[in-house]
Amino acid sequence: MKSENSSAPIIHIEHVWKYFGELPALQDVSLDVYAGQRVVIIGPSGSGKSTLLRSINRLEEIDVGLISVDGIDINAPHSDINKIRQNLGMVFQQFNLFPHKTVLQNVTMAPRKLRGVPRAEAEERALMLLAKVGISDKANVYPAMLSGGQQQRVAIARALAMQPELMLFDEPTSALDPEMVGEVLDVMVNLARDGMTMICVTHEMGFARTMADRVVFMDKGQILEQGTPAEIFGSPRHPRLQQFLSQVL
Amino acid sequence: MREDNEKELPAAPEGRIVVPAGGLRLPASPRPPVINAWSLSLVGAVAVLVFLCAVWPDPYLDILAFVPGGLLITFEVTILSICCAVPLGLLTGLGRLSRSRVINLIASTYVEVIRGIPLLVQIFYIYYALAMFLQVSSLTSAVVAISFCYGAYMGEVFRAGIMAVPKGQNEASRSLGFNRFQTMIHVILPQALRTILPPVGNECIAMLKDTSLVSVMAMPDLMQHGRSFAAKTYLYFETYTVIALIYLIITLLLSKAVNLMESRLDYYEKRK
Repeated sequence: MKSENSSAPIIHIEHVWKYFGELPALQDVSLDVYAGQRVVIIGPSGSGKSTLLRSINRLEEIDVGLISVDGIDINAPHSDINKIRQNLGMVFQQFNLFPHKTVLQNVTMAPRKLRGVPRAEAEERALMLLAKVGISDKANVYPAMLSGGQQQRVAIARALAMQPELMLFDEPTSALDPEMVGEVLDVMVNLARDGMTMICVTHEMGFARTMADRVVFMDKGQILEQGTPAEIFGSPRHPRLQQFLSQVL
Repeated sequence: MREDNEKELPAAPEGRIVVPAGGLRLPASPRPPVINAWSLSLVGAVAVLVFLCAVWPDPYLDILAFVPGGLLITFEVTILSICCAVPLGLLTGLGRLSRSRVINLIASTYVEVIRGIPLLVQIFYIYYALAMFLQVSSLTSAVVAISFCYGAYMGEVFRAGIMAVPKGQNEASRSLGFNRFQTMIHVILPQALRTILPPVGNECIAMLKDTSLVSVMAMPDLMQHGRSFAAKTYLYFETYTVIALIYLIITLLLSKAVNLMESRLDYYEKRK
């Protein structure tokens, strides 16, 4: 929204196809994401939402098409994917914290080892991030001692520690107990208010409705409809989207 | 522990099943029984040894006299072999997981070949094969043979341990920008260690027992000392009784050490 016509997109996805064996997981998907935008991808499970998200930092390799981040083709042989990934924070459904590291070490690890940030500085910044996600009191415990919601908030802090330009959320609340969903969503809302660019795959329609600039509806590997939350939730045009919304809302 | 968890959780709404965060698990017995297979074996072995030496000091004390010297060689061969076999096993395990066809094939063939040849045959073979090309001490060839054999077995242990680390760990690390090597060093191996250590410890204990095979190359280890003593005195039964008891006591102590190390490695899984 903000800078849609002023500059080049951060993420440019163009006619992407991806197959799992014979099964097409992504069919001719094209999408642009601009700085400051908050894109929420919705759709039934198995519709390719996560695959699309994971293709953006090349956790999945696409078969046809182009995905570029800041104008760099991430699948080109000469592209340094590790460098590109440092700029793309990712949060997983299963948190994937490093269980052998304390919360603080989880957050400081990447900046220290990848950017050579001195320990004191990395820890200071990590504590700031942990305060931001509301768990600075748990800095020195191991992830196994945290609840799911707390773990996911640490995972968000860990991704933010690399000061990424964009955050990818892959169903961040789907593995959580219902009473913990709110605390994670709060963190994401705060991030969005701070102007973080984010792409979020989620089943939380409330979040999509209130926080998204653009909602993308996917089914069977295709983007069937996209638009503002008002358009998608207020006047859905595609029959598949109408059917989907009638089931989830 | 479970009670604590239950207290923390809000009361379950009616009609909903709430599983405590710790999961459902059998309560651990408050303290391990004093009499178990391990303590019984150890006390038994020591008691028999003491009894024999006390009642028939004549042959048994003579037999015990050569034990320290022989044990020294046994330990030397074992420790040197561990130092070679563990890195070799790690390399083999990584090789078996490598995406490179060639490296994968080399590692797999190595495992396949070594596993198909008895250790005793390997020891003979390496001793005489090495002797054809270069002059090596029997210690060197013993260490080479045992390391090659156990490197293959440990390779499988390392491979399994690395594969047991959840895939999400690799993805999380890679998504932060760590490359394959950094991910392996900082994320995968430290976690794999916990699964790997007990079987590797057991392999090391098995290795100590298998060093008795190097006595065929006239290495003056515990077994060889026993063989020559028995040949001199014709006290086969008495000698091998002592040798067996000594091996048993040592492996029992070492297996306890492995157990203790194993429980130490659980530090980060403990919930409060």
